[in-house]
Amino acid sequence: MAAIEARGLERTFPGGVIAVAGVDLEVNDEEIYAFLGPNGAGKTTMVRMLTTLLRPTGGSARVAGHDVVSEAADVRRSIGVALQEAALDPLMTGRELLQLQATLHGIQRGQAEELARDLLARVGLTRAADRRVGTYSGGMRRRLDLASALVHEPRVLFLDEPTTGLDPVSRKAIWEEVSKLNAEGTTVFLTTQYLEEADRLADRVGIIDDGRLVAEGTPDQLKAEIGRPHLEVRLMEGEFDEAERVVARFGRPMPARDGAVLVELEHGASAVAPVVRALDEAGLSVESLDLVEPTLDDVFVAKTGYHLEGQDEVEPVQEPE
Amino acid sequence: MGERLLTNARVVAALGARSVKQTFRRPQLFAPILVFPSLLLAIQVGGAGRAVDLSGFPQVHGFLDFMLAGAMIQATLLAGNSGGIALAVDIEMGFTDRLLAAPISRYAIVLGRLAGTAALGAVTALWFIAVGLIFGAHIEGGVAGATLIVLLVMLSAVAFGGIGAAVALRTGSASVVQGLFPLVFVILFLSSAFFPANLMLEPAASVADYNPLSFIVEGIRDLVVSSLSMTAFLKAIASIAGIGAISVGLSALALRRRLRTGG
Amino acid sequence: MADPGLRSNLRIAAALIRRAGNEILRVPGAAIPGVLAPTIFFLGLTAVFGNLTHLRGFDTDTYQNFIIPVSLLQGAGFTGAATGVNLARDIEQGWFDRLLVSPAPRPVLLAGLVFSASLRSLVPATFLLSIGFAIGVHWPGLLGLLVTVLLMMGMGTLAACWGTVVALKFRTQSAAPLMQALTLLAVLTTTAYAPLALLTGWLHDVALYNPVTKILEAARQGFVGTVTWGDTWPGLLALAGLLTLLVLLALRGMRRTAY
Repeated sequence: MAAIEARGLERTFPGGVIAVAGVDLEVNDEEIYAFLGPNGAGKTTMVRMLTTLLRPTGGSARVAGHDVVSEAADVRRSIGVALQEAALDPLMTGRELLQLQATLHGIQRGQAEELARDLLARVGLTRAADRRVGTYSGGMRRRLDLASALVHEPRVLFLDEPTTGLDPVSRKAIWEEVSKLNAEGTTVFLTTQYLEEADRLADRVGIIDDGRLVAEGTPDQLKAEIGRPHLEVRLMEGEFDEAERVVARFGRPMPARDGAVLVELEHGASAVAPVVRALDEAGLSVESLDLVEPTLDDVFVAKTGYHLEGQDEVEPVQEPE
Repeated sequence: MGERLLTNARVVAALGARSVKQTFRRPQLFAPILVFPSLLLAIQVGGAGRAVDLSGFPQVHGFLDFMLAGAMIQATLLAGNSGGIALAVDIEMGFTDRLLAAPISRYAIVLGRLAGTAALGAVTALWFIAVGLIFGAHIEGGVAGATLIVLLVMLSAVAFGGIGAAVALRTGSASVVQGLFPLVFVILFLSSAFFPANLMLEPAASVADYNPLSFIVEGIRDLVVSSLSMTAFLKAIASIAGIGAISVGLSALALRRRLRTGG
Repeated sequence: MADPGLRSNLRIAAALIRRAGNEILRVPGAAIPGVLAPTIFFLGLTAVFGNLTHLRGFDTDTYQNFIIPVSLLQGAGFTGAATGVNLARDIEQGWFDRLLVSPAPRPVLLAGLVFSASLRSLVPATFLLSIGFAIGVHWPGLLGLLVTVLLMMGMGTLAACWGTVVALKFRTQSAAPLMQALTLLAVLTTTAYAPLALLTGWLHDVALYNPVTKILEAARQGFVGTVTWGDTWPGLLALAGLLTLLVLLALRGMRRTAY
């Protein structure tokens, strides 16, 4: 049974705004699935529907084996949620918040206190446990938010842009925690607008644009769809044309750029050493050699026509035949 | 010199217009100025209207005629408080800093806010005159009387607005200015805004006799229930001038302090 | 791990009531306006309209006895409206989603919200009654006081239900005046200022049919005379009827917002 299943899931808001336009997806148990897309793509709307905060206007979805509409209460018992705004009560302490969360999930007092203690230690907030949340930094709030989503050991964890606005150190801490949780058996559905986050964390990535799922697969699969890695060679001295003839033996030549010879490597990164040897044998001195892998941004541009980070429109990239 | 005055006048007008627009766009600012006082007026007229039968009650056409002035002043006091809250919000959000960095007179910033409050005063005066007429009140002073009522209310608005502005500039906190809200009602209850001072209970009656707010209310009320009495009118003007001098003076001092200390 | 059922639901409601208490316990000075305002109105209205008792038809010769239950109900009403404003803030800031995404039953969430208002209304009421008795308000007897306090807490719950309905509908703190205005209207369009026979015009007709009039009259009886069942049950019935209506509306609002 999939942890999350959506079939033609749709949400149209009053006024005719179609935020999610018939999305099909399946997230396997114990998988980390990243939903990648720019602001306004429909990521948060998807999360809100899957977490029973918003009623779909079409299609269906099941989370942890329960229908999100007809079995909403059962869904809520099985999920943990950390939403985009780390919505915490500034007047409560971290400990009080976790205990309240435990109470909301029907956990008895003694057990709730123990859970709160353990979770605070897990996310590194023991020292701040009895301080009011209003005094916490952004990173601390996110960690507390994550901890509160874990109070009842959910089967499926929803994280809506968990590291937006955080500094690199806090971001890394969240990534480590998410990986650890997944290793312990929790399915994670996270939305993000950061390519590196999706690339690093996710088993599979779904790219959403304008309410539609435009691509889905593992990061490697998606990148491979776009093309193979290419090599950029800059020479210190020697014949440019000779270099082009040498590298052409190892893959498909690409248009030169900024004085560099480019070739798409047929056999990937393993062809780098033979290329270097061949250039050396031809008496050509190499100034620099860069192996450039396709990125998720390249995938995003190919599927949507614009970069995710920066969101400038570009010419659609030709996919290799 | 003339050109600078013209520029400052334009700035004051622009900031005044902004403050009026702000008020009407936010229900939390608008409701206390017109909605609540109108509701209270309707309820007090219906609830205490038989007071006109009490021995010693002034000769009036109806209790509504008596109450109109108090409702106007209540609304104007609340408009002054709202203006103070809005100014404090501007300070908290940094908009005032933006104005201070512009090549405009510092005092134009406060005067702009007060101009807006004066405009709101005019709106409240016209509103309650209209409401009064619709529900059967008589403005004995006629058109001239109504014009003088609007003038008195506008000047009162500037005077009361100065208090709100002074607190806003001194504290920079909207919630502190908001906290003055109950004080508005204390001052109103200790005046003849809602009832003749001679028929109030002590010690409120004695306080009301000397409360400058009573003189302002009586000046406006006079124009509603009888023709213009110079004594009442001049007492009202003097009270407004007195409160205005103190409040606008305090605003200026608070602004100077803010500019000097940056907070 | 989970302990479903009544005990768990009571724990959830209690936790939410405790959380609501933070607003007045942990924010210095936040409670002061809410506590002072009913007393200011009580003293002010007594000073201003005190001589209305000289009109024939007043069943008491001391206006403060007549007006104190109005201020008590007003105070409870404002406390209830404040609950609605706080809920609107929680919705705007995303906190309410946290509650909705938990398995806590919706009626239990509502109960926690509105009962916190009825308990908090005891704070301004205690202050007001202390001041009132200090300046000579008639002691209503223990029974009279209990009836008044019960009806007052009921009023707080009513106002909180109304505030909840508005907050769930508009999802913004800008709707605060709507919460406050209707609460104010409900209490003042009654025999708040004078007995029914002395009310004039539209107010007389509205007060005649306004169920809150019955609540007020029942709450007032101990202060102006003796407490009788005949004067109490209409107030209790009116309260029960309004509570039923507003609780149903609030639950409907919850279901529409979050199924």
